[in-house]
Amino acid sequence: MKAEFMVNDVKYVVEVEPNERLSDVLRRKLGFVSVKEGCGVGDCGLCIVLLDGKPVNSCLMLAYQASGHRITTVEGMGDGTRLHPLQQAFIDVGAVQCGFCIPAALLVLKHLHDTKPDADREEVRHALRSVLCRCGSYIRFEEAFKQVSRR
Amino acid sequence: MSEEIARRFREILEAREFLIVGKKVARVDALDAVLGKPLYTADLVSGKTLYVKAVRSKIPHGYIRKIDTSPAASRQGIVKVLTHRDIPGVNDAGSLISDRPLLAYEKVRHIGEAVALVVGESLEAAEEAADHVEVDYDPLPVVTNPRDAMKPGAPRIQDRDNIVTHFKIRKGDVEKGFKESDVVIERTYRTQFITGLPLETEIAYSFLEEGGRITCIVSTQNLYDVYNKVVKILGVPGEKLRVIQAATGGGFGPKSDETPIDVAAYACLATYFTGKPALAAFSRSEAMTVQCKRHPFEITNMVGARNDGKLLAWRSTLIEDTGAYISKGHLVIGRATFHCTGPYEVPNVWADGYCVLTNNTMAGSTRGFGAPQAHFAAEMVLNELAEELGLSPLEIREINMLRPGSLTATSQKIEDDGLLKCYQRAVEASEWEKRVREIREFNRANKVLKKGIGIAMLYHGNTLGPEGDDFATVITYVERDGKVVVQTGLTEYGTGALTSLAIVTAETLGLPLSMVKLERPDTAAVPNAGPTVASRTTVIGGQAALDAALKIRATVAQVAAKMLSANPADLEFRDGLVKANGRTVTWNEVVNQCFEENISLRVVGYYIAPPTKWDPETGQGAPYNQYTYGALVAEVTVDTETGVVKVDRLTAAYDVGRAINPLGLVAVYEGGSIMGQGYALMEKIVHDDGVVINPNLHTYVIPTASDTPDEIRSIIVEVKGSMGVFGAKAMGEIPVVLPAASIAAAVANATGIYIRELPLTPQRVLEELHKSRQ
Repeated sequence: MKAEFMVNDVKYVVEVEPNERLSDVLRRKLGFVSVKEGCGVGDCGLCIVLLDGKPVNSCLMLAYQASGHRITTVEGMGDGTRLHPLQQAFIDVGAVQCGFCIPAALLVLKHLHDTKPDADREEVRHALRSVLCRCGSYIRFEEAFKQVSRR
Repeated sequence: MSEEIARRFREILEAREFLIVGKKVARVDALDAVLGKPLYTADLVSGKTLYVKAVRSKIPHGYIRKIDTSPAASRQGIVKVLTHRDIPGVNDAGSLISDRPLLAYEKVRHIGEAVALVVGESLEAAEEAADHVEVDYDPLPVVTNPRDAMKPGAPRIQDRDNIVTHFKIRKGDVEKGFKESDVVIERTYRTQFITGLPLETEIAYSFLEEGGRITCIVSTQNLYDVYNKVVKILGVPGEKLRVIQAATGGGFGPKSDETPIDVAAYACLATYFTGKPALAAFSRSEAMTVQCKRHPFEITNMVGARNDGKLLAWRSTLIEDTGAYISKGHLVIGRATFHCTGPYEVPNVWADGYCVLTNNTMAGSTRGFGAPQAHFAAEMVLNELAEELGLSPLEIREINMLRPGSLTATSQKIEDDGLLKCYQRAVEASEWEKRVREIREFNRANKVLKKGIGIAMLYHGNTLGPEGDDFATVITYVERDGKVVVQTGLTEYGTGALTSLAIVTAETLGLPLSMVKLERPDTAAVPNAGPTVASRTTVIGGQAALDAALKIRATVAQVAAKMLSANPADLEFRDGLVKANGRTVTWNEVVNQCFEENISLRVVGYYIAPPTKWDPETGQGAPYNQYTYGALVAEVTVDTETGVVKVDRLTAAYDVGRAINPLGLVAVYEGGSIMGQGYALMEKIVHDDGVVINPNLHTYVIPTASDTPDEIRSIIVEVKGSMGVFGAKAMGEIPVVLPAASIAAAVANATGIYIRELPLTPQRVLEELHKSRQ
């Protein structure tokens, strides 16, 4: 079957299997390898992408279900030439350790920043609960959000 | 000539103020990471690939009577099914000790042991076919308690005694010490299996190059462990295999251990037999079942002190459950036993550490390597002793902590005051006395919520010491555009240590960090650099990077000296310029000149740590070249109705020797603290008669952002060490060591109860509260 969606403002029409997961289509068919998989059952949140601006676990969604929707991955976060302020803040506060959860953490915070730029610490932590980071960079992520919302 | 110049430059470097070292700089790989660019192994698969799945034992112990692969082999989409009989080389996947077959034969010794491999055209086909390999077992008695395994006549796990190692420390006269003590207490502490849980599971991808060489891309800490083992498993000459480390999503020890060898061998065997690309990756539950875990310990500490608090005698018995195969268990017991008294001076010590085989899943290398268990038991017993003596946790530590001139449990003389400095800074920054008063008031006013404060301290023998050859190699070369490339068999998997190598290189050559690039670890390009473990990459690898950079600098200086009509040793390297006598050439001009004159700017840097000496009969000697010190203050709130422990604040002071990359250190401090908090409060892999019952992230819960303490204060103490680059001390593992000890101490302070078994789950806390009320 055909699925048709916008990924990072570019339109894609792809042939997908009815049981094909959105994460697999993004990774394998369209090459958005920033979308990671850590468990495949919705526990870890590393496969999070934004669907019409909201975070979803792309391993729990079938590709055809995303048809007609707008998808954002970390590849589409900047404006092509400049980093998104959150990306820059992640660098500045030293948030990156192994890097495996960074795309998901960035997207979750982007959603929060878009919807509630003045979110307090508890709200930031609540949002970040959906992404596991075994390196334990949570406080760095929080710092990065704080830095951006101060501006 | 060149060597002399390099020596002179080393002196200059160490005398002047650093340009980049110790400054706030971004990691060299941070930009790529926020763009989602790093290519992990799964991201490198292109086109069609075969998938390899292991058939795993469904019982923890039993003879293999028969393996029938035909129902699986005849299924659609299945290319090949392999058992131990098909292995072309040696059926040995043990990382250090050859006790573990890649594919089980004769018997299985733990749940989830690999018995056969299924190679399919799709993952689904391979997974389904794996269920159709029929294995008949004769079950054997299952031994899961190491105490049972130690008994004479216990069923044997391997064809050897279940006690793998008996590690000893004999210092002074411990009986006399107890006799002279005014107070003697004995307590037993227990710790649990946890999993290191890198979020990227084990994964390897292999393909055949033209000319018949197999290339294997793998997620690993130890490039050459994988290479050396897989060459033997395939039975091919060394030049027929190439191993490359892809970007690696976390290590924490397990990726230095057994399972990266397994997946690499699975993929390579499939490519060997079919000539086609093959991918082998663990599912999350597979990883959580078979990945090497943190060893559970039972530690009995008997300690004696005078009324004034001075420790006189210490007896430790440490029993370590290493599971069905040794992995690094024989070394972990050594580190735990060496550190069994914590960072305190005790004149008389007697310790027996036992590494024991059971039918539980394998334990092995996990961040901290025996130190978290040893320190938990040491700090707890010290607090319990202090209470008996009527001393505060601070007083007993001030009386007994290792200071310059103190002798450790192995009678090694301590040279520096790093521990005292960490202690003072942590107590001061946590506002200990003020907090104690506030807590007293809070607890008086609150019936249900109880607050508490606790402190724990550590010393941590640096790098491998007795655990292996402590060397590193780094290849550094300069490209025509002036960029300096650093390539080594040491790996980046999140710690930031390779950024430290880049910083050392840039510092030495007077270049901005952006001029230094890291190249992927690749056995076709770099020699063995030793394992990327034991927090040794900055310390030891940094020395090798310094050696290489100094060699480059010496060569470049000779050419620049001619251009500037100056003496090579007098040149200043700074801001991408080489200066002397008020004249300047740019780095790129000199590099260009080197290329014009056919002067090679490619060198090998090498460092090997001084050998350490100790007597295996008594444990006495100097097992480590230097020590990292630390103190951690934890403040908690205990809900006495639900048993939930909330960590309010952690104040961490660690003596890092020299902060090469302070921004990186903060991430490591915080991250290690949070990982340690998971160990303290929530994580436990549960074996039920040898069967892992919670191999998933919804029943095995790790800390999320919401579990993070309100505040973690990170304090960097710098007391230069004797071994590491520019005085650096080991740091990667350290912050995970103390959270359990300090949080349990804070819980004891809040509730009056010493909970002697980890983790401090709400259920356990409630049970203990209930018991104490009876």
